[in-house]
Amino acid sequence: MRRGSIVRITIYGVIAGTLASLVAVLVPWLPTSASEEMDRIEFTFWFTTVICIGIFAIVAAAIAYSVLKFRAADDDERDGPPIHGHTGLEIVWTAIPAVLVTAISVVSAVVLAKNDDVGANPLRIAVTAQQFAWRFEYPDETTSGSLVLPIDQPVKLTLRSLDVIHSFWVPEFGQKSDAVPGIETTLVITPTRIGSYSLLCTELCGLGHATMRAQVQVVDRADYEAFLERAASGDGAPAGADDGEAVFATAGCGGCHAFEPAGTDAAVGPSLDEIDGDEAFIRESIVDPNAVLAQGYQGGVMPNTYDKSLTDEQLDALVQYLSDGQGGN
Amino acid sequence: MTELVHSAYDSHHAPAVPPPRGLARLRAPGYLRAAWTTLLFWAFGFGLVAFFRWLAHYDPVVDWTIVTVVAFLTLAPLGFLTGIGAFDYWAYYVSGRPTRPEDHSSHGATSWKDYFRVNTDHKVIGVQYLVTTFFFFVIGGLMAMIFRAELAKPDLQFVDTQTFNGLISEHAALMIFLFIIPAFAGLANFAVPLMLGAPDMAFPRLNALSFWLLPIAGLMFLAAFLVPGGAFATGWTSYAPLASDQPLGQVFFNMGVQWAGASSIMTALNFLVTIITMRAPGMTFWRMPLLVWANFTTSLLVVIATPFIAGSQFFVMFDRIMHTNFFRVDEGGYALGYQHIFWFYSHPAVYIMMLPGFGIISEVIAVFSRKPIFGYRLMALSLMGILVLGFSVWAHHMFVAGMAPWLRVPMMVTSMIIAVPTGIKIFSWLATMWEGRIHLRTPMLFALGFLSMFVLGGLSGIFLASVPIDIAASDTYFIVAHIHYVLFGGSVFTIFAGVYYWFPKMTGRMYNERLGKLHFWLTFIGFNGTFFPMHWVGLQGMPRRVSDYSEQFGNWNMVVSLFSFLLGASTIIFFYNVIQSWHRGPIAPGNPWRALTLEWQVSSPPPVFNFDEIPQVVAGPYEYGIPGARHAVLNGGHAPVVADAVHEEARR
Amino acid sequence: MSAHAGSSHSVGHGPPIANQSSRVSASVLGMFLFIASEAMLFGAFFTAYFFVRVVNPEAQSWPLEPFHLPVFVAGVNTAILVTSSFTMHWALQSVKRGNRAGLQAGLVLTLLMGLAFLLTQMLEYARIGFNPGDGAFGTIFFGLTGLHGAHVFVGLTLLAVATVRAFRGHYTPEHHHGVEIPGIYWHFVDVMWIVVYATIYLI
Ligand code: HEA
Ligand code: HEA
Ligand code: HEC
Ligand code: CUA
Ligand SMILES: [Cu+2]
Repeated sequence: MRRGSIVRITIYGVIAGTLASLVAVLVPWLPTSASEEMDRIEFTFWFTTVICIGIFAIVAAAIAYSVLKFRAADDDERDGPPIHGHTGLEIVWTAIPAVLVTAISVVSAVVLAKNDDVGANPLRIAVTAQQFAWRFEYPDETTSGSLVLPIDQPVKLTLRSLDVIHSFWVPEFGQKSDAVPGIETTLVITPTRIGSYSLLCTELCGLGHATMRAQVQVVDRADYEAFLERAASGDGAPAGADDGEAVFATAGCGGCHAFEPAGTDAAVGPSLDEIDGDEAFIRESIVDPNAVLAQGYQGGVMPNTYDKSLTDEQLDALVQYLSDGQGGN
Repeated sequence: MTELVHSAYDSHHAPAVPPPRGLARLRAPGYLRAAWTTLLFWAFGFGLVAFFRWLAHYDPVVDWTIVTVVAFLTLAPLGFLTGIGAFDYWAYYVSGRPTRPEDHSSHGATSWKDYFRVNTDHKVIGVQYLVTTFFFFVIGGLMAMIFRAELAKPDLQFVDTQTFNGLISEHAALMIFLFIIPAFAGLANFAVPLMLGAPDMAFPRLNALSFWLLPIAGLMFLAAFLVPGGAFATGWTSYAPLASDQPLGQVFFNMGVQWAGASSIMTALNFLVTIITMRAPGMTFWRMPLLVWANFTTSLLVVIATPFIAGSQFFVMFDRIMHTNFFRVDEGGYALGYQHIFWFYSHPAVYIMMLPGFGIISEVIAVFSRKPIFGYRLMALSLMGILVLGFSVWAHHMFVAGMAPWLRVPMMVTSMIIAVPTGIKIFSWLATMWEGRIHLRTPMLFALGFLSMFVLGGLSGIFLASVPIDIAASDTYFIVAHIHYVLFGGSVFTIFAGVYYWFPKMTGRMYNERLGKLHFWLTFIGFNGTFFPMHWVGLQGMPRRVSDYSEQFGNWNMVVSLFSFLLGASTIIFFYNVIQSWHRGPIAPGNPWRALTLEWQVSSPPPVFNFDEIPQVVAGPYEYGIPGARHAVLNGGHAPVVADAVHEEARR
Repeated sequence: MSAHAGSSHSVGHGPPIANQSSRVSASVLGMFLFIASEAMLFGAFFTAYFFVRVVNPEAQSWPLEPFHLPVFVAGVNTAILVTSSFTMHWALQSVKRGNRAGLQAGLVLTLLMGLAFLLTQMLEYARIGFNPGDGAFGTIFFGLTGLHGAHVFVGLTLLAVATVRAFRGHYTPEHHHGVEIPGIYWHFVDVMWIVVYATIYLI
């Protein structure tokens, strides 16, 4: 292999790589960061991207150069030079990638260690996932269906699941973890930007998976305290209170059912605006969904865990709410 | 030497048996017999279930879930195999009757009908594999077209959520278990014995059986659409505990995987034995073509890893039908166990879906660059390196799964290191092309397409191997992009390259070069348009496996869907080209590519028993550019100057 | 590596003689590879065992209260199975030496001991007092022993075929793959049981 051509292709590769990098930097690949952890992830991402663009540029340049330069005419029956190898070159292209991936690994490991570190005094919030709803429990034991976080405060989330595997992800926070039945997992987030975000479930967990979302708000300290107060006193945020509407929202019924008073329009299960039955029937339909199947629907779809996950008061409130809402008023 | 191979030559042809008539047709192997044996076995399974449940005082005596598993998904397929005659030889053996090894009536094909019978000729089986797998490719692809149409806009338009989840799961299951893995097995079935200078595989009847398990697995997957509750809908990964409580369709996945898995284990075993025991004289390991090396390593992976997916699916199924507690947490089960066991197969499986492709590319690039493979030994060793490393990285699919945190960094490091042997291969291919005389025929175009696209896919794999990035990107469309860059841009491109490359050898006719090139370019454009934007969409926040997504991704998904239709349409050209050329393409010469490997030294298509005499191998398989160099001597010719000396000389 | 293989008399009639490029015979190698894959299937079950008993933070007691494992009976059963490996070996040695009576006796003894093992295990199942649904313990117990039992059944089927053929005089000192291969499988089943017994009953 001639030295000159290698130099040439390296130069082409560097030029192509620089151009590609410039273009790449202009595309907002990642959502605007809203947490310290995401900042670090972004750093890792760009570190890796630069290396990878370089490699791709070299490979692409080599292919393009060969095709343009060494292309033979169709009727050319000659062979190329019988080169079988070159030990030096082989060592080079074993060693350089090895060094590069080591670099990526080291950076990643450091970032991982930092992202897992909550510091001394985190805010602890317990997250419970179930088909198809999220519930958050704050240190003072108030619960809510939406997540409210104070800015610049490291938070340690502990995730649990009541049925199947779900996954907690807020794109702007970067961090993600599955909620696994039988295991408690944790996640560290330090929000840095006030705003409203979406929590998405990213692990296929059944029919309501796509709509298993919750609202996340990053607020300043004062608003956070205010929120807790409101939540504890029961208005605004759904506590374990007898507020049927709130239970409906936190239990995730709207992920599958249309119900006008709650403003939901999902169509996995039957519409709850016109239930053909009394309160006892409604109660049974929630606690033991497979006992009587609604016409045209299959068993085994609606979760059968509500008798465990809802308290009696909540259930009463829910049934009340549903029967009040009959006739779509 | 084996009884099987031994006996194949020491007697003469069996007398031609007249085709059976009348009632005898019900007893002769074939579809007619299969009809009643299938029914019989089914009834037996039904009776078995009913009898045991009656014995144990279970109520009701007929539980359709269990009947489905035992009678429909296990015994009826066995009945079918018995009927078409896949077990005849062994049945003779077991019953102590004389076997008829000298009977070659099930070898070779004289009419298209022979392709629908149990055939023991590896070349026929190879074609059977390819036709079957492309059939399932079309079905799996059409499913993608349906759900891409659904995904073109946010909210639900055409299908409900259950159907959507069913479609993506079937799409992936068919593509992986009935297209990529067996398509490689098909190509290798055709090429490997020829390349080794062997008359057939080591166990021709086992080979036939392996093939016939495939349509069973495929139809089983498809049949899931017909049962109440619809097809299995938990993704191809089918995580417990979700999968344990799904509608009945889920067991069709559990069992379909067993049939496909059994097929691939038996094929792999057959390849290994063939490669170890049936190489032509002079064919040392270091003279084997890289396709053979690739299938050797792949087969090792299959034999060792596949039982793990069998286990994982059994566990899920048992949890459902026998009320066991492998993954039921409130009874002491451990939910994450499923993922460990599943990925211990399914990560190696991604190399099962790539290494044979590496082999194909090595053949194609050497031939169309007219140069020896650069660094042949390191090419073979890097395959082995990937094989070993491949077993140590499974948990990179579980970085966010809640597994033991200490496992993450080691798994990240091993995953990263896989870039090194893979990189060696990429750079060696580039160096092989360097200063060569490159002929851009269709197989070469696909090889180059592979080279560029697979590197992109591999690099996105590096992003995912980095734990912090994976934490952000896991379970989003970024993963979907990675999957398709490596599986479509990687595996499917190599399969296309392989099909075009061996098409003349398989059919005896040339394909249409212009249509081939058109196919490549449309596929290349459609492919990038479909899958490249997914990287961005995913990082921005679109999860995978959703039928409904946030408005902000609407435009890009529309673009993706439109390109995906172009990608689908480009496949029509391929099928047109293949079918048309198979009928009326120009007759192919024995060696249209002027290649050195053995399969090109015989006629196109090859004789029924491949070689009149076993060839004598005298040098490496890629000695292009050395005047007078040959890989092997056929039909008792004289051995020319052995090129190995030149080999050392040139290695500077 | 053997010299030039094949002879022209086969041209057009049958396949050329394949070159035998390794000393190990194809069917024996095939059986070993099959066993490797079977061992991995057991590996999957042992992995499940490992997760349930070791990794699971909520692991239950082993054996699950209030059940007991019949360690002694299973121990006797182990002895039976181990002995059958020796009779199997004897059968193979006999056929190699051309001793037909030894072959037949060895096979029949192996078969009988295998059957005894399977029967004992079935009785054990019937009396053990718990079932696969009793905690993950019951699941793993029946999973591993059941998987092994299925292998004993397959092994016995192979042995039965070999025995029938032995009585029909199908084996010679030169050609006895039909005994050797089921034998290899049987030894595997045997070794596997020792591991299963140790992990389930003893540890
Ligand atoms: C053909 C199939 C195939 C192949 C070959 C690969 C190859 C690789 N894959 Fe991929 N992967 C899949 C198929 C495949 N993958 C599938 C199907 C999934 C999803 C499963 C699911 O959840 O449904 C997946 C998911 C997946 C994940 C999990 C993501 C998640 O779910 O969160 C990860 C994480 O580490 C990963 C990593 C890698 C790596 C590191 C490689 C490496 O082997 C890549 C090595 C190659 C290169 C790097 C390019 C060439 C090298 C060079 C040019 C040298 C220089 C390079 C450097 C210095 C970086 N893959
Ligand atoms: C080898 C594997 C393989 C192949 C070839 C493909 C091919 C394609 N895949 Fe697939 N895919 C997977 C493996 C593969 N996929 C896997 C493993 C998953 C993960 C599943 C999971 O989450 O569990 C996945 C998931 C997946 C998703 C994500 C689903 C989700 O998470 O919600 C999407 C979305 O766009 C997609 C699209 C496509 C498209 C458009 C093609 C196209 O390339 C298909 C093109 C082919 C055809 C269309 C058929 C032939 C065409 C004709 C006969 C012409 C006639 C048709 C028309 C003109 C319309 N695939
Ligand atoms: C996974 C989707 C899903 C979720 C989540 C869900 N359901 Fe259902 N639901 C269904 C399906 C499907 C049916 C119809 C089959 C049946 O009757 O069991 C149904 C039936 C019902 C019925 C009976 C309706 C009738 O007309 O007979 C009631 C009442 C009901 N659900 C209430 C609820 C409430 C309250 C919640 C939340 C606490 C809820 N559901 C959550 C899917 C769901
Ligand atoms: Cu919960 Cu997806
Ligand atoms: Cu992987």
